[in-house]
Amino acid sequence: MSTPPIQMRAVDKSFGSVKALDQLDLEVAEGQITGFLGPNGAGKSTTIRVLLGLLRADAGSATVLGMDPWRDAVEAHRRLAYVPGDVALWPNLTGGEAIDLLNRLRDTVDERRKDELIERFELDPTKKARTYSKGNRQKVALVSALAADVDLLVLDEPTSGLDPLMESVFTECVREARDRGTSVLLSSHILAEVEKLCDTVTIIRRGRAVESGTLADLRQLTRSTVVMEVDGDASPLAHRKGVHGLTQDGERITFQVDHDQWDPVMREVAALGVRSLVSNPPSLEELFMRHYGEDISHRPEGATV
Amino acid sequence: MNSFAGTGTLTRFALRRDRLRLTIWALALTGTTAATVPALDQVFTSEADRAARAALMRTPTGVIFGGPGYGLEDYTLGPMVVNELLMSLLIALAVMNILGAVRHTRAEEETGRAELLRAGVTGRRAAGTAAMVVAVVSNAIIGALTAAVLVGSGLPAADSIAIGAGILLTGLTFAALAAACAQVVSHARTAIGLGMVGLGVIFMIRVIGDIAEQGGSALSWASPMAWVFQTRAYVDLRWWPLLLYVPAVLALTAITSALATRRDLGAGLVPPRAGRATAGRFLSGPLGLHLRLQRGSLITWTVATVALGVAFGSLADQLAVFLEESPEMIQYIGADPTALTDSFFAAMMQYVAMLAGAATILSVLRLRAEESAGRAEVVLATATSRVRWMGGAMLTALLIAVVTMLAGGLSMGAAADAVLEDTSYTGVLTLSALNMVVVPVLFGAVAALCYGLDQRLLPLLWLWFVASILITIFGPILDLPAWSLNISALEHPAFHPAEESVITPLAIMGGAAIVAALGALAAYRRRDLVTG
Repeated sequence: MSTPPIQMRAVDKSFGSVKALDQLDLEVAEGQITGFLGPNGAGKSTTIRVLLGLLRADAGSATVLGMDPWRDAVEAHRRLAYVPGDVALWPNLTGGEAIDLLNRLRDTVDERRKDELIERFELDPTKKARTYSKGNRQKVALVSALAADVDLLVLDEPTSGLDPLMESVFTECVREARDRGTSVLLSSHILAEVEKLCDTVTIIRRGRAVESGTLADLRQLTRSTVVMEVDGDASPLAHRKGVHGLTQDGERITFQVDHDQWDPVMREVAALGVRSLVSNPPSLEELFMRHYGEDISHRPEGATV
Repeated sequence: MNSFAGTGTLTRFALRRDRLRLTIWALALTGTTAATVPALDQVFTSEADRAARAALMRTPTGVIFGGPGYGLEDYTLGPMVVNELLMSLLIALAVMNILGAVRHTRAEEETGRAELLRAGVTGRRAAGTAAMVVAVVSNAIIGALTAAVLVGSGLPAADSIAIGAGILLTGLTFAALAAACAQVVSHARTAIGLGMVGLGVIFMIRVIGDIAEQGGSALSWASPMAWVFQTRAYVDLRWWPLLLYVPAVLALTAITSALATRRDLGAGLVPPRAGRATAGRFLSGPLGLHLRLQRGSLITWTVATVALGVAFGSLADQLAVFLEESPEMIQYIGADPTALTDSFFAAMMQYVAMLAGAATILSVLRLRAEESAGRAEVVLATATSRVRWMGGAMLTALLIAVVTMLAGGLSMGAAADAVLEDTSYTGVLTLSALNMVVVPVLFGAVAALCYGLDQRLLPLLWLWFVASILITIFGPILDLPAWSLNISALEHPAFHPAEESVITPLAIMGGAAIVAALGALAAYRRRDLVTG
């Protein structure tokens, strides 16, 4: 395989004096689901619009399915499908008409899968779009995108209006798409969704990719939380290399441990007489907070977080 | 529950939101008055000039935008203001009130902003009442300023105040009418359309009534637009016709109020139906989509131009009758009867072209709505190029330009043939329409160019469009210099059927339209999409 389905190198994009993307790198590997994480305003949607050729990058290089996203937009779009975060539809077209229209414009539809998806998402295609809720409009875009026989799915916060039941249908459908060999870029700020679905993750902050890799890789970069009950006095542990934030409440101690210090720390703890031990790998939320925690603690009203 | 709760807050909020809009309308309307009144005095100086002008105002062409024709016998400045200016002011005022009333009621509901407000301490009647209060305030300002300008020009105070009061009351009537329309249908655009149809009907009732008889016939009295003229301001002032506005406004407001308390938020009186589950064969590309989206507009605008064509065309026999009754007119105007009829039709064809131009520009600008709503993004993320997307919209606009223009010409000709028992006008006026079709096409192409380059240029297009209309309507009265007439796109095609059609201006305008359209496509390919 030559180039990955999505590759961005050092992409800049400014709107007036506001720098939306700043030397952004992003890659989606063949046949994988890549999570694209960041809070509102970090530049996720701008990145996606550059990839779709709706905006032109100021500098840097980007390819989508090996093509230039601006120059070869139409060719690239034949092999990808896009679901925006806030789906706008034509008020006087029905959901069914909008799905068919978008599929025809893409020219790559699997009719059987479309009918099946309409059923799974419990969508009434005879209703006019003006009567649809946000969730239903999103279902229209999802059905159309997932029914398309494409190599790449670009999903921009696609579940923000879906209820939990529909979210799990969505999760299944995206997994099925990957199993068919489709590569997926999934932008989100719902960490649980990314954790459930994604093979690799890129975290974006102020238009710059601050972290990227597989979830397992990223976890290596940070600490696990250990909660245990011990017989002995654990206070000397507090000063040990690799142990952070130790607190003791009777027999119960809680601390974080660096990943490269597991073995020596565990040997020392074992000597104290362990009665129970629970270890939690860092959640994506903790990974995320590592990059954004600083912003939050600088907020005056959020200082206690 | 108090269904008026929150009216005061909503009113202040609406005035705050509209302060620039209202200021511009007020300045434009009173500014037109302030500029026209002295100009009328200067252009028509001699007795003979005024008598000739008064004679022209008695013709059906004059009555359409003049009025019932009080004071034509002694055509001094006061009657001139009423006959030359007031009707145009009232039409602009009606448009302002229709747009404003819908903007503060149905448009708010449609965007969902009203939901937020209604969830607070806001009664069901509050939005409608606030819209009416805003209408009272804005129309009162315009009425008072106009009266002040007229008094300042040395006209009698009582008569000028009657005109100002008439402006206030006519404006309110149209605001009340539009507010009622906004209750009936669930879309702001449909409500505006319905209000405009109402304006057209009210206008045409007055035209037909006034043409039947100088001073207005019984039919004229059915139209609120006639009542302000019936005060006979500057001739023989009487106040009581203004009282007729009161029951009209109250009745419309009562209807609005009754409807508002009975229906759900966001709902119209016409419930939505289930549609098709799959798209038809036609809906398979950008052109199909644009045609589908604008099918309603195409039908509405065509009906509007046909109505205009039939209305003007059927006046042809009145024109003939009028000439038989007063042969001395021909001396004044210095033309033979056929020439008078032909120049009447040529002038009316300009009005059809204005309507077709508005339809074409609005059709092109649907692209902007698609873009700002995020729907263009959805389409352009499929295998659809920008050229196909915009090209589809431009072809749709071209279709609207040609169909509305031809429908206007054909219906005017057919109506003229029907009333005159002739057969030639259908063909002649269809040719006149073809002669003018380049005007809406050029307006549309320039709209596309502005949109393609940068949406912020669009006010320039509107400026040109409005200037073209004003120059064409007022240019001859105000004796504007030739170079300024050239600004109006409407002045370039020959004045067919009064003059022979000339190919050169048509070719130049057509060429310019093609260049603008190609430039629009090239520019649109290069720019960033404006996204939410």
